[in-house]
Amino acid sequence: MSFESDLLAILPRLRRFAASLSRDRADADDLCQAALEKALRARDQWQPGTRLDSWMYRIMRNLWIDEGRSRQRAARTFAPEEAGEHVGHAGDRDVEAHVMLSDVDRAMHALPDEQREAIALVLVEGLSYKEAADVLGVPMGTLTSRLVRGRGALIELLGEAA
Amino acid sequence: MTDIDEAMLIAWVDGELDEVTRRRVDRAIAEDPALAERLERHVRLRDRLSGHYAPVAAEPVPAGMQALLTESAKVVPLARPASRWRHWGTGGAIAASLLLGLGIGHWSGGPEGPVAVRNGAMVAQGTLATALDTQLASAQDGSPVRIGLSFQRKGGGWCRSFEGQAVSGVACREGEKWQVQQLVAGAGQDTDYRQASSGDARIMATVDALIDGPPLNAAQEAAAKDAGWR
Repeated sequence: MSFESDLLAILPRLRRFAASLSRDRADADDLCQAALEKALRARDQWQPGTRLDSWMYRIMRNLWIDEGRSRQRAARTFAPEEAGEHVGHAGDRDVEAHVMLSDVDRAMHALPDEQREAIALVLVEGLSYKEAADVLGVPMGTLTSRLVRGRGALIELLGEAA
Repeated sequence: MTDIDEAMLIAWVDGELDEVTRRRVDRAIAEDPALAERLERHVRLRDRLSGHYAPVAAEPVPAGMQALLTESAKVVPLARPASRWRHWGTGGAIAASLLLGLGIGHWSGGPEGPVAVRNGAMVAQGTLATALDTQLASAQDGSPVRIGLSFQRKGGGWCRSFEGQAVSGVACREGEKWQVQQLVAGAGQDTDYRQASSGDARIMATVDALIDGPPLNAAQEAAAKDAGWR
């Protein structure tokens, strides 16, 4: 099995992870594509025998965090794209902008990044706490407290239907 | 009240408890309906989230991503150009149209260029047209233009992605000509130019938008060529 075919084999899961992080599916595939490109450039840094999926989750998560930061910088410099469409609804702007998304997408997007990535790795990707903590580079206790807070927020956002 | 906290409940749901603690939670749940209801909420949340995203993993992988990996497997790994994915929606398109605006005047002025404008459309000519007509991705050592992917477009007809030192892009068969759908700047004289194409997010995005089914394999490509791309 080559590096590329190993990547191809886990690609469906990588796309799922990207979808659970991103605000919509188009952003998710952009993120996934960028992570693949980065992995191909950085292939020498992957150590055979270690888990390729964890390595890819880490690459994707770091790209996503970087992208979030640059978006925040841009938001401080320029008026947000949607601003014109939501005059008078400033408080609900995020919610309004995502009216096309499902309840779950919206609720996930409402979480702080650090809670969303923990939830995505454990509840969606099915990683163990230890694996997820390794991907995120945080102690187990930090991971579990993010899981507790994130789940509490999701249950509240999704209501009794959750 | 019990001594079961929220972290312990979710660890139960996530299968992270050791046997002893799990039994302790089991006993507490049996004795405390409110606790059982909280646990049930967490079970439903986990099911709902994993169920919501599961279809994404069941979808076929986008052709562009698949092509990126299959192409990469064929090429000696060298440094690829920096990812431009943040600018796909706007920057890439603007850069491409800017190139078109600048390029057409130049190329249409000379018979030697890779692209001519005929009836308001860009068509391949010269070495680019020859490469699109005759070159197989599996046999193109030393050619000035390299063919990337060949594929069937939505609605029928053949398209091929190409890469050269001056320009890379995607062309689709229209009658007896190759109509150029997209042009982006090639990597110039850089000896690594072969790397530019398959990883170029703009070209892959165009392929993704056009492609119907998977790209042609070598045998299918040869058959399509022999049939004159009709």
